[in-house]
Amino acid sequence: MQPATAAPPTRSGEPLAVEVTDLRRSYGDFEAVRGISFEVRPGEVFALLGVNGAGKTSALEVLEGLATPGGGTVRVFGADPVRDRAAVRARMGMLLQSSGLPGDLTVAETVRTWAGTLSAPRDVDEAIAQVGLTGRADVRVRSLSGGERRRLDLALAVLGRPEVVVLDEPTTGLDPESRRQVWRLVQDMVDGGTAVVLTTHHLEEAEELADRVAILKAGRIVLSGTQEEIAETQPAVVRFTLDAGTPEPPVPAAVQVVSAGPRHEWHTRALQPVLAELLAWAAEHGVVLRYLQATAASLEQAFLAVAEGRVGDAA
Amino acid sequence: MSAAPTTRPATPERTAMTTATRSAAPSRRARLRSAAGAEARLLVRNRTAVFNSVLMPLLLVAAVPALGIGGGEVGLGPTLLTAAVVISLVYLTYYNLVTTYVARREDLVLQRMRTGELSDGEVLTATAVPTLLVTVGQLVVVTAGVVALGEWSAPVQPLLVAFGVLAGLVLMVLLAIASTGFTRTAESAQITTLPIVLVSTALSGMFFPLSALPEWLSGIARFLPVTPVVDLLHLGFSGTTWEGDPVGDVSVWTWAVFPAGVLVAWIVVGTVLARRGFRWAPRR
Ligand SMILES: Nc1ncnc2c1ncn2[C@@H]1O[C@H](COP(=O)(O)OP(=O)(O)OP(=O)(O)O)[C@@H](O)[C@H]1O
Ligand SMILES: [Mg+2]
Repeated sequence: MQPATAAPPTRSGEPLAVEVTDLRRSYGDFEAVRGISFEVRPGEVFALLGVNGAGKTSALEVLEGLATPGGGTVRVFGADPVRDRAAVRARMGMLLQSSGLPGDLTVAETVRTWAGTLSAPRDVDEAIAQVGLTGRADVRVRSLSGGERRRLDLALAVLGRPEVVVLDEPTTGLDPESRRQVWRLVQDMVDGGTAVVLTTHHLEEAEELADRVAILKAGRIVLSGTQEEIAETQPAVVRFTLDAGTPEPPVPAAVQVVSAGPRHEWHTRALQPVLAELLAWAAEHGVVLRYLQATAASLEQAFLAVAEGRVGDAA
Repeated sequence: MSAAPTTRPATPERTAMTTATRSAAPSRRARLRSAAGAEARLLVRNRTAVFNSVLMPLLLVAAVPALGIGGGEVGLGPTLLTAAVVISLVYLTYYNLVTTYVARREDLVLQRMRTGELSDGEVLTATAVPTLLVTVGQLVVVTAGVVALGEWSAPVQPLLVAFGVLAGLVLMVLLAIASTGFTRTAESAQITTLPIVLVSTALSGMFFPLSALPEWLSGIARFLPVTPVVDLLHLGFSGTTWEGDPVGDVSVWTWAVFPAGVLVAWIVVGTVLARRGFRWAPRR
C-alpha cells in the first residue's frame, strides 16, 4: 500500500499546479474531509475516487475556492483560491457536480455570456463544437437533454483556457459516445499542459485518463499512486469450476483460497506461476477447468477493497 | 461574501496574476455588462416577470388617487411621486430581488456563476441589474406622467429627495439579500417578505400621516425601514413633516436629521444581516 501522499514518480521539479496539504472540512460536528494531501503538476491528471459520501465534492469545493478549509491549506500555482480568487480564477476552470443554468437562454447565448466574463475566452463556436452541441446552438437550455446540458456545463468550465481544471463527475449521465468525446477534450487540454483534477464513479474513466489516483474513504485517502501501484495492492483472481467427481487440484503456496469447489476462487500475487501450475495439473489429469478466468489486479478491485473496508481501515 | 453589490464604487482593477500568455482581464464593467445583459434578456423573456415588475407597480400608483391618499397640504404630484418611490422600492426592488435571488440560488445558478471570474459582488449585482433598471424606469415614467398631468411642482429640497431614493434603494437591496437567508423557495417569498411589504409599508406614513396612530404605535412606526424614506420624500418634495404639517419656522434639514439617521442605521443593520443571512447554495 502506498503512503497517503505518494510523490508523483515522474516530472518532479516542475512547478505545482495544485498543492493540497492536510485539508480538512467539517459540516457542524461532522468532519467530511479528514486531512488529505495531494499534488498535481501541469499536464497531469489526478483522479479522486471514492464511494458516495466519501468527501470528494467537499474537498473539491475548497480547491475551487467556493468553501474555506476547516484546516490545512490549498494552493493553486502557489495562490490561495479563496483569498486570491481573482488571480486564481483567471487560470482555473471548474465543473461542479451539480449546477444550474438559466433555462431561457439559448446554448449560444449562454456560452457567449460566459465568454464575456472571462479574460481569455476561446472561440464560442469552437467551444460549442467541441462538446458536440453545434446543432443545438440556438436551442433554449431548458429544452436540452440532461447529457447535453452536462456537456454545455463542461464547455463553460473550459471556456477560459484554464491551466487547472477541476471536474466533479464530468461524465455522469453521458452516453458512451459523448463520454469518449469528453475524454478527448480532456486529453487535448492535458496535452496542452493543463492540470486536471477529476472525480468519477466510472473506473474505466480514471483508467483512461488519470496519471495518478487517490481512493478516498470517509474523508481520508486510503490508497494513492499510479494505477499500477494501486492495482498492485490487490491480488490477481483465478476462477474455475470443476465437474462433480473430479479430483481437487493441489493449492499452490502463493494462493489464498477464497472459495473452494465446485466454483473455485483463488487470490494470488503470483498469477503466472500459479496459473501455469494449475494448467499443468489439469493437463496431466485430463481435468476440464470450466469457465476458467484469470484477472490481473485492477483499479476496480482496489476500489471495492477500500469500499468494503478490506484495505486501509487502520489508516 | 460581499454583500453590498449596488454600492460598490468603481475600484481599480485588481491586478491579474501575470503570465506570459494572458492579456489584461476584461474590465470589471465589461464582465458585468455581459452577465447583466443576459439577466435582462431573461427578464424580457419571462412574461410573468414583465407583468409583475413593469405593469403592476404602475397600476398601483395609478390607484393612489382613487384611494383618496394625500390631498390637503401635499399636492397630487408629490403624493403620486412618493407612492411611486415606495411602491417601486418595496414591490420591485425588495420583493423582486428576494424572489430572484432565491430562485437562482435554488436552481444552483448562483453557485454556477461563482465558478468563473466574476467576483461575488459582481454575481449579485448582475442578477440585480434588470430589477434596478426597471425600478429607475418606473420612477421616470411616473415623473413624466405627473408632469403630463400638470401636477409637477419643484421639490422644496431636491437633495433630500435624492438621498431618500438612493439610500432607500441601497437599503432594499441589502434587506432583500438578508431576507433570502430565511426564504427557502421563491414561492415562500410571498410570506417571508410580508414584514416589509405589508407591515413596514402600511406603517410608513405613505397612506396616512403617522400622527393619526396611537402614540406608542407611531413611536414604533418611525423606526421601521420604509418610514424614513417616506419622511424624507415628504420633507424634500413639499416640506411637510411626518405629522403631515408644514415644517414652519424650523428648517427641513433639522426635521431630516431623524429619518436620515434611522435610514443610515438600517443600512448598517441591513449590511450585517445580509452578510450573515446570505447563502450561495440551497441548504442541504
Ligand atoms: N452541506 C452539507 N451539510 C452537511 N453534510 C454535508 C453537506 N455536504 C456534504 N455533506 C456530507 O459530507 C459527506 C461528504 O459529502 P460529499 O458530497 O463531499 O461526498 P462525495 O464524495 O462527493 O459523494 P458523491 O460521490 O455522492 O458525490 C457526506 O456524508 C455528506 O452527507
Ligand atoms: Mg460528489
